Amino acid sequence: MPLIGQLALALALVLAGYSIIANVIGARASIPSLTASARHALWAMCAMVTVAVGAMWSSLLHSDFSLEYVASYTSFSLPTIYKITALWGGQQGSLLFWTWLLTIFTSIVAIQNRRRNPEIAPYALAVLAGVAIFFLGMLNFVTRPFDLLAAIPADGQDLNPLLQNYWMAIHPPSLYTGYVGASVPFAFGAAALIVGRLDDTWIRSTRRWAIFSWFFLTLGNLFGARWAYEVLGWGGYWAWDPVENAAFMPWLVMTAYLHSVMIQERKDMLKVWNLVLIGMAFGLTLFGTFITRSGVISSVHSFTQSGLGPYFLTFLILVVVLYTGLLLSRVKQLRTRAEFESYLSREAAFLFNNLVLVGIAFAVFWGTLFPVLSEAVRGVKITVGPPFFDKVNAPLALALIFLMGVGPLIAWRRSSFDSLAKTFASPAIFGLTTGVCAFVAGLREWYVMTALSLAAFVIGTIVVEFRRGVSARRHMVSESVPAAIVNLVAKNNRRYGGYVIHIGVVLAFIGIVASAFFKTEVKKSVKEGESFQVGSYDLEYLGINTTETPHLESARARVEVRRGGKAIAMMEPAKLFYKRLQQPATAVAIRSTPAADLYVVLAGIDDQSGLATFQVFLTPLVFWLWAGGFIMALGTVIAMWPNVRERAVIAAAVRASSPLEADAQAVPGGD
Amino acid sequence: MRRIANLRARTAALMIVAFACAAAIPIVVAAAPTVSVQQVAEGLTCQCGCGLTVANCNHPNCEFSVPVREQIDQMLGRGMSGPQVIAYFRGKYGEKILSAPTTQGFNILAWIMPFAAILAGGALIAFTVGRWRSHSPAPAGAPETGADADAGNFDPELRRRLERELRERI
Repeated sequence: MPLIGQLALALALVLAGYSIIANVIGARASIPSLTASARHALWAMCAMVTVAVGAMWSSLLHSDFSLEYVASYTSFSLPTIYKITALWGGQQGSLLFWTWLLTIFTSIVAIQNRRRNPEIAPYALAVLAGVAIFFLGMLNFVTRPFDLLAAIPADGQDLNPLLQNYWMAIHPPSLYTGYVGASVPFAFGAAALIVGRLDDTWIRSTRRWAIFSWFFLTLGNLFGARWAYEVLGWGGYWAWDPVENAAFMPWLVMTAYLHSVMIQERKDMLKVWNLVLIGMAFGLTLFGTFITRSGVISSVHSFTQSGLGPYFLTFLILVVVLYTGLLLSRVKQLRTRAEFESYLSREAAFLFNNLVLVGIAFAVFWGTLFPVLSEAVRGVKITVGPPFFDKVNAPLALALIFLMGVGPLIAWRRSSFDSLAKTFASPAIFGLTTGVCAFVAGLREWYVMTALSLAAFVIGTIVVEFRRGVSARRHMVSESVPAAIVNLVAKNNRRYGGYVIHIGVVLAFIGIVASAFFKTEVKKSVKEGESFQVGSYDLEYLGINTTETPHLESARARVEVRRGGKAIAMMEPAKLFYKRLQQPATAVAIRSTPAADLYVVLAGIDDQSGLATFQVFLTPLVFWLWAGGFIMALGTVIAMWPNVRERAVIAAAVRASSPLEADAQAVPGGD
Repeated sequence: MRRIANLRARTAALMIVAFACAAAIPIVVAAAPTVSVQQVAEGLTCQCGCGLTVANCNHPNCEFSVPVREQIDQMLGRGMSGPQVIAYFRGKYGEKILSAPTTQGFNILAWIMPFAAILAGGALIAFTVGRWRSHSPAPAGAPETGADADAGNFDPELRRRLERELRERI
């Protein structure tokens, strides 16, 4: 198996190189058979990497400890699910997995563009193959996943206990899918610059890829936060750790990009800016990988530190220099006679939305790199942690939420103050009244009151927008309100999917603000049968159950939770001990409700005194962070869903025009 | 009609109160305004290598964060303020223990740059928009689409087209 895997990776590298040459020559000399051959080479490349991944999975599942990777990240007793996820648990495996995703996406792009985009697609595929060459080069020459050990150990070293969690089974694949997905619009942007086809063809051709990437970046960040919440045992979910930041920055920039392209599609403006944004998004995915693997910045998530930093940095610099050079060479052609009438317009709202989103991304980037800068300039090592990021980003988040309310309702081109007052009166009153009600209810933190008011304002604008659409439908077609809502969303899925995403963002924002401001913590040592109080809950410690498997020992405390004298839950926080690694770990117990999460950690057990120490967090509304995240995902699915009207437009375009033009019209504008 | 309007107003008012209460009550119930060990510990970085703050170190029996948290508890119990506790630990371990840069000297750059960048971005937008506006047509006629389209001013042909497109899209 190891030999097959290594050979497959070597062949994949050769095929990637061939596909670049064949694509470029085929496109330049207009030889369709050569570009077709390049496509076949890409499919073969994908097949080869799939073989390598299959070989690795087979070795992992069969505990083939002759392989250094298998011996380093698994053991005989590791549960099968974690033997499978060990593929992305270590350095070489995660790079192999990344490369696999990249080659799969490249193959799909090659299939999608067999008869479309004859000008741009060969170059976009060449760019994607270029990225694949870097990763395949690493896998063949620098960090080889199929390296063998001189002496085969009796058992492997096992997987890091922190990675033995189901969120870790889905967090890295989601994030990597998001990262790699961003390379498709980047490749088309770069190809558009190479070819000089600078209209919005590259955007329309990759709109779904961009949303797809954003969807998985959202899920990846969300799953990662949930993993931190359940595994790290500190009651929080986001620590502004460099690796978390590295996953967050591309999400921010992709969010800006998804908004900004609407202006280009609609008004033929911001051509340079959109190319800059997609370049930044792709660069940040490489930067994230560089941070995770270089060890330049210490991080709780750097499970795969190695000496790969210089290679990633070199590749990142190369990409930035080449792309910037390409962009600068086309700046004159990219200039358009943009029309802009008023700051009271949707164009302006989107511009400021982009400013704030990229501003937050810059603040995160700056804070992440500042320790390195400080050490270089002053020779003093400092930490830039949560207090910095919270303070800097808090006002920007409010601005963003405000713009989220304004953007969808304000008119294109210009609005008058009168019309603004008419449009925004109800949402504004709703927002203000919410703030006043919160104040009357006893809230005094100005930030929380502002956040609640703005959240209500945004919800109000979305309700107004839905109400308008429903009224219009009911005016045209006689149907019930629920039917009108369903049909409205189905016929305008891109627009209303976007509103659903906004609802999700608002709910997640409320969850974040409430949990940041009002989390309470109680630490208590109690004997069996003793109780203690946390908020309105009474917790009684009933005793410890110990269990043992070949893989781990666990001591599970039983804690009965009562409220108003009535038992409502049995919680079982545990201390685990991984035998192979001789490492302790904590398994928290969480009782989640829409009002608050009760989060119980078994901090210690003293056998002599019989005391068990519990650390308990009561976090209000944090449920809405996860719920909001999944609503965002639902909204994205709605926005991506193939639209009947859209298909009709594509079919008509294919009939009426050349393949190239058909593709340019493939996705109608909309909002 | 008036009764319907009243009913709508009442429903809206109820919705507002329900939303505000749903959001505010759990927060108010859980609110604890005093300075806690957790809040002070957020200002210090754990030195065990976890990369987290003293408040958030996830090592169950961490040799650094556990005693430091106990020490913070004792110091607050003796009446010291949060900043005094932080200053004590800074004196003992140096600047590296702070979880955020100070606001003096070179470190001020950490705080200023994000906002300076946003201001610069805002200025760039203002400059670019100024250039766009200089060659934009004079603002006349109704806006393209959106909230303030006044249906009464449409000519019949435009209205027919609008209705046709509405039927297709809505």
